[in-house]
Amino acid sequence: MVRGLTAAATLVGTVLAGAFVIAQAPAAKEAKPAAALPRTPWGTPDLQGTWDYRTITPLERPRELNGREFYTEEEAAKLEGRAGRRMDGPPESIQPGLNHAQYLTDPGRRLAGRRTSLIIDPPDGRIPAVTAEGKARQARLPNRGASGAAVSSWLDRGNQERCITYGLPTASLPTLYNNNIRIVQTPDTAVIVHEMIHEARVVPLDGRPALSSKIGQWIGSSRGHWEGDTLVVETTNFSGQQNFRGSTTGLHLVERYTLVAKDRLEMRLTVSDPTTWEKPWTVLLPMSPTEGELIEYACHEGNYAMFNLLEVARDEDKANAAKPAGGESK
Amino acid sequence: MKLLRALVALTVAGCATAATVVAHHSFSAEYDAKQPITLKGTVIKMEWINPHSWIHINVKNADGTTTEWMIESGTPNTLVRRGFTKQSLLPGTEITVEGYRAKNGANRANGADLILADGKRLFLGSSGTGAPKEAPDGQ
Repeated sequence: MVRGLTAAATLVGTVLAGAFVIAQAPAAKEAKPAAALPRTPWGTPDLQGTWDYRTITPLERPRELNGREFYTEEEAAKLEGRAGRRMDGPPESIQPGLNHAQYLTDPGRRLAGRRTSLIIDPPDGRIPAVTAEGKARQARLPNRGASGAAVSSWLDRGNQERCITYGLPTASLPTLYNNNIRIVQTPDTAVIVHEMIHEARVVPLDGRPALSSKIGQWIGSSRGHWEGDTLVVETTNFSGQQNFRGSTTGLHLVERYTLVAKDRLEMRLTVSDPTTWEKPWTVLLPMSPTEGELIEYACHEGNYAMFNLLEVARDEDKANAAKPAGGESK
Repeated sequence: MKLLRALVALTVAGCATAATVVAHHSFSAEYDAKQPITLKGTVIKMEWINPHSWIHINVKNADGTTTEWMIESGTPNTLVRRGFTKQSLLPGTEITVEGYRAKNGANRANGADLILADGKRLFLGSSGTGAPKEAPDGQ
């Protein structure tokens, strides 16, 4: 099964050639910077460019794998073959709630080095247990954006649907499309631009102190430094207006970016929030260079979706109001 | 058969293994999976907007009048990676779109498949054409 456009295939091929062809061998667990990698004039590794982190490896390891860290070659070929067919041909099955047209999505077609989960710590590949306080908090979260969510107002919808933010760490994890970041460096600053969703995180590298704990921001505040050849970005000061699975203002993120080959950037993300999870958890996300620039996220300007779903909801309200009292036919 | 095909075309994220499965908005809040629709028309304009591009088309009705429809499409990057260029759908291009209509009957649809006048399908090709990265059939 295939796309008609040779150009498409060529482009995808080009992207993929640089992408996960360097499949990480199961045994190679540590990111070791290779020699002769590109460096900036001031001597640090040159991470600049647009990076693609599409992968079909899930964040959490499927339970049925009983903790197995890697797929076999045969399993990987099957999964990647299926993902390729999903991109190139009609879908194989229907998944309620994910009924977007096929070409609206671009989740990738390669596993992350045959890994069964992006989470590498805890060793079971799953987000650690949620604290009792965290569970209570999660239970109070509004059902926003999901199927069956209220559509009384735009205020009922989630922050990403309202074009506000994807938040962190969501913006740093693979999703259905736009899995791209761009990195720009100067001697004293790094900028990480997320295509999801128009965030440009300006990360000072000059050793300045963290923001006052009195200041909270939607995507927190980041400070960075180099540890050897690894760029370490620490993010705190979240306002709590956007959360990840019920996380709080205590959310603490540490991203470690290491160039392990010219065409492979690895990001290790450690997430902690002691009142939400019983221990921290770490993700290993491989990225590959991709051509072109990020496309601007003119979400508000083109957010027909918000208008459309509110219009649909109001029409349903009218239709329901017009029904005779007690005259429910179904 | 057509309905079956439409239903099959409905799925997306086959590998829902994608880490954080979050789409920009809920299909079910806007569109009706039970209303597959085929529209034949000419392109008025295409809006390359993140996170969803929109194709505006004029559809000729049986009485000779035309109706404007909006077709929701993929992110610009998604389309570019699949070979789309700014020239692909110039105004006046004749296309057929298969998709799912808005729940309230508005002239909007969530696009699933797009067919050019020469029969070439964008995004949903037939198997066995030998293009690079093609997965073998039957896997």
